[in-house]
Amino acid sequence: MKQFYYKIFIIVAVIGLCFYQIYPPDKKIKKGLDLQGGVHVVLEVEQPPQSDKTLSDLSDRALEVIRNRVDALGVTEPVIQKEGTNRIIVDLPGVADTEKALEIIGKTAFLEFRLVNDNPEDIKKAEEGKIPDGYEFLYIKEKDERGIYRETAPLLVKKEPEITGAYLVDAYVGYEGGFPDVKINFNKEGAVKFEEITRQNIHKRLAIVLDGVVKSAPVIQTRIPDGKARITGRFTTEEAKELALILRAGALPAKVNVIYQEVVGPTLGKSYIQKGLKASLYGGIIVLAFMLFYYLYLGLLANFALILNILILLGILVSFKGVLTLPGIAGIALTCGMAVDANILIFERMREEIKTGKSIRAIVDAGYHRAWSAIIDSNITTLITGIVLFLLGEGPIKGFGLTLSIGITVNLFTAVFVTKVIIEWVIINMKVEKLRI
Amino acid sequence: MELIKSTNFDFLGKRKFAYIFSSIIIILGIVNFILRGKENFGVDFKGGDLLHIEFNTSINLTEIRGILKSIGDVTVQSLGKEGKEFIIKSNSGTADEIISVLKSKFGEESIGVKAKSVIAPSMSKSLREKALISFFWGMIGILIYLTFRFEFRFAVSAVVAIIHDLLFVISILALTKQQISGTVIAALLTIAGYSVNDTVVIFDRIRENLRKTRSTDYLSLFNKSINETLSRTVLTVLTTVFVVFCLFLFGGEPLHVFSFSLLIGFIIGTYSSVFIASAILIDWDKIKPYRFKL
Repeated sequence: MKQFYYKIFIIVAVIGLCFYQIYPPDKKIKKGLDLQGGVHVVLEVEQPPQSDKTLSDLSDRALEVIRNRVDALGVTEPVIQKEGTNRIIVDLPGVADTEKALEIIGKTAFLEFRLVNDNPEDIKKAEEGKIPDGYEFLYIKEKDERGIYRETAPLLVKKEPEITGAYLVDAYVGYEGGFPDVKINFNKEGAVKFEEITRQNIHKRLAIVLDGVVKSAPVIQTRIPDGKARITGRFTTEEAKELALILRAGALPAKVNVIYQEVVGPTLGKSYIQKGLKASLYGGIIVLAFMLFYYLYLGLLANFALILNILILLGILVSFKGVLTLPGIAGIALTCGMAVDANILIFERMREEIKTGKSIRAIVDAGYHRAWSAIIDSNITTLITGIVLFLLGEGPIKGFGLTLSIGITVNLFTAVFVTKVIIEWVIINMKVEKLRI
Repeated sequence: MELIKSTNFDFLGKRKFAYIFSSIIIILGIVNFILRGKENFGVDFKGGDLLHIEFNTSINLTEIRGILKSIGDVTVQSLGKEGKEFIIKSNSGTADEIISVLKSKFGEESIGVKAKSVIAPSMSKSLREKALISFFWGMIGILIYLTFRFEFRFAVSAVVAIIHDLLFVISILALTKQQISGTVIAALLTIAGYSVNDTVVIFDRIRENLRKTRSTDYLSLFNKSINETLSRTVLTVLTTVFVVFCLFLFGGEPLHVFSFSLLIGFIIGTYSSVFIASAILIDWDKIKPYRFKL
């Protein structure tokens, strides 16, 4: 009897613990991007033509910068991780304005100050195709009245920047003459450099180039000694804020390309959940009804084990900080269908054993004992594929592999251990002498 | 209740018919698959953009198709009964252009983007590679485990049955003009892991009967084992099929092809544990006799 109490204590403790883990489910069970809406992006860092750093190092630096930017965006529970040598995975759950988020993450934000050559002769030559050495044509992109960026007249600018954003320590939005602009502060070294540049090039134009596009090209009016500069360029307040944020977070060390992007709106996620849960619920109810109908009391037992299986599965999912995705819900539904398989194997074995005329204790023992090898073998083969899906799957499929793997492992505990304890307890305490299947 | 009482079917005597049936479906399917080429794959495997948009009023499908003709290779599919939601698949990098074209035609506020996927060629390539690697490791894992638990011949037969099931499902997908996407790969791997369960149950009984009788009349011993386990083979797959069928009916668009694949795969998985996995062991023994040492 003593070992019974010990086993029942374990079962009750597990149930209690899992309840504690998942209650209240709305808050405790984290939903994947596909269910709560948000963006999943995979970025690939491009190897710059001349760089002494390895692609992997560049990616590490890029990851830092992207993390700073995402933090500045104020996204709750973002996931930012490196995959392979040069890929960065970014998950932003619950982000409403995905376009803006992507723009902020993906912008290289390489800021340069380059001198403009306004010599009419040089420009004329350059237009004829004879661009002077060390110079190139760059365009100013401006928004037209419909809000679409258009390229305006080209500027002949030096290829070599006078100073870059690397010396920048701060950037913030300012207003001058009623229009928003971005004010930047250089560090000490930058300030000295900037003073030198402005002193030597008074009355020349200095182009402010961001990612290869000229933002503006103001004329240097006077020597600027304090390391403060201003980027103008017909910004809206929103754009100025974004630019300041990106500049503060730092430039990406290399160009990054979006190679995979998955955006799910919040309403769609909700309808996914509703449909997925509805389908799982119906499936679950049919299985429960079928087991009850087919096996009567034993069916009731299998149903208890099934519900326990789902409860523990969710409990473990929460403990592992796993997320529930739509394929994950499907995985739980599948677990419902598969969870009773072990019980069917046991009960059918018992049915065979009844024919041999054994005592009820011997029938139960033989049923569990003989069905065990088939149960363990079939669960392990399913587990192998579940683990492979978890390890190699992308996004939501990972969630499917996770729920399937947990479900099938927990199944050994609920369908075999728990049901056996209950059956034996009932037989001993209720003096059952005949097994009805 | 007992739905299936003791039976005594000569399953393995009919294996030739099963070989012919499976071969016809798979050959038809594979021919279809090859003819379809890239069309077999969803955007995640061939690269491209996918948009799920919703208009605030219902719009004619042909009208949208006409408008988007200028962008090139675009397929538009209507979703739901109201004619407001559409799924648009296009070449890589054209999603934003499509949105702006539609917005300029129907007005800025008329369109909401419910979901968007952009998959560059380099990503779809690595997704394809990952899918293949998943299959490779899944199969190797099962092969090793079954060799360890049974015997090499059993493991090989079980894996051949799995491959049969997967080819069968892929064939049905090709014949019904459905596309293979990431979730279908998940479905295929689940089929691989689950359909082998029935095989394991039968093999488990074969192992038990072999130990008990030491019989070398494998054909009748295998048939006996299949008949003895028939009720549980049917019942276990039945409960799972109930669930998958509900996912298929009520799970909505994203789970549709996924649950369809599972449905076909699970049913065929049961068929193949009898007519492929067990049958191969018998024919293998005919070609190269072997005493099982289980």
